[in-house]
Amino acid sequence: MNKISVTFYVNGKKEVLEVTPKERLLDTLRDQLKLKSVKEGCDVGECGACTVILNGQAVHSCLVLTAQLDGDEVYTTESLEKDGLLDPLQQAFIDHQAVQCGFCTPGILMSAKALLNKNPNPTREEIKTAIEGNLCRCTGYEQIIQAIESVSEKKLSSR
Amino acid sequence: MIEYEFLKAKYLGNALKILDSYKNVKLLAGGTDILVDIHKKSKRLGDFNYILDISNIEELKYIEETSQTVEIGPLCTHTMLIESELISNMYPFLVTAAKTIGSPQIRNRGTVGGNISNASPAADLVPPLIALKTQLELSSVEGKRFVPLEKYIVGPYKTSQNPNELITKIIIPKIDKEYFGVFLKIGRRRAVNIARLNLAILAKVKQNIIEDIRIVPGSATPYPVRFTNLEQEIIGKRIDQIILEKITPKISEEMISITGERWSTPYKKPALEALFKRGMESIFAVFNN
Repeated sequence: MNKISVTFYVNGKKEVLEVTPKERLLDTLRDQLKLKSVKEGCDVGECGACTVILNGQAVHSCLVLTAQLDGDEVYTTESLEKDGLLDPLQQAFIDHQAVQCGFCTPGILMSAKALLNKNPNPTREEIKTAIEGNLCRCTGYEQIIQAIESVSEKKLSSR
Repeated sequence: MIEYEFLKAKYLGNALKILDSYKNVKLLAGGTDILVDIHKKSKRLGDFNYILDISNIEELKYIEETSQTVEIGPLCTHTMLIESELISNMYPFLVTAAKTIGSPQIRNRGTVGGNISNASPAADLVPPLIALKTQLELSSVEGKRFVPLEKYIVGPYKTSQNPNELITKIIIPKIDKEYFGVFLKIGRRRAVNIARLNLAILAKVKQNIIEDIRIVPGSATPYPVRFTNLEQEIIGKRIDQIILEKITPKISEEMISITGERWSTPYKKPALEALFKRGMESIFAVFNN
């Protein structure tokens, strides 16, 4: 089996890695880079637990081979906290009790972050669409939607 | 375990050379079908020794307008299709179809060329693209040839593409403004939903007369085809001459004439009829106003 050398950026840091042809971005992030926020769920693009932001878009890291990357930019939930301060989105999940077992949370955070980066004032429907590929089996989605709504630009500036 | 070597092409020329000189190569673009098949060790994959990653070929990612057509690069993602003003203006029902595919994660990665070449009976873009009389440009080191999408898919997950070929252009003819298209889909749930049935109808209505209609159900037959018998029943009629209760059973008759009675027929028969009725009602509603 050939090894492939890849260069890409993870949470702003340049990485030059050797990967196998079968290694998924999910495997590389968890095993080589120890970014354990990225969760392995269904492995077939149905649950969204492995969602990361690739070049500004939410994607399943289980459906990308790392060897496909070429200078691309990847962001995981580890990138959200800055200098010991949680991202407002993370804080909102806590405040709205949008977390129960927590397994789906990093994936949902990245789907929500990808939405908010593009569209700082999403409608409720846009939020629902953005997280439609993320399954949560404990809390129900209401608190999650409320948490995301609460960090829209309008809501934040009216505080 | 499925073992393979990984090959990569950043330029079309390279990809075509690799496809010509290596045997048993699988193409990898968005990966939303093939990586799932690999994970599930799907029999559909057949034997292969190499994966050729074409996802970074920038020259195959475009949506362009020519005088007679709209041309889509096969590596356009579903999201690119949805966000394209040109596609939204020209073929809104194609955008409706693209929006029903998977989830944002799938739509951000999955490609139009992949949806076509995977040739799933449930592919959501294929019925509207067949209704639009889409042509494909297939390229190899020997040159180019053009195939109607209708002839390109020849069976469930089977195409007439040669192993050394690649889809390099998806060509949609422009349509008169009298055409109106609908896309409908039913499945087990709203999101991350593989079609139990889908249906594209494209109709041209002038002075209340249906001058042209193209009806393409998906997941109803081994691969999507136009239901030409049904189309002939409708073409030339005035809207008020068409009694939907009379015409709707004909869509399931045509389906069964192709598939025979299958285990799923007791479900698909009434479901396809209802879908067709709903589609025709929305076409009539547009032209009655």
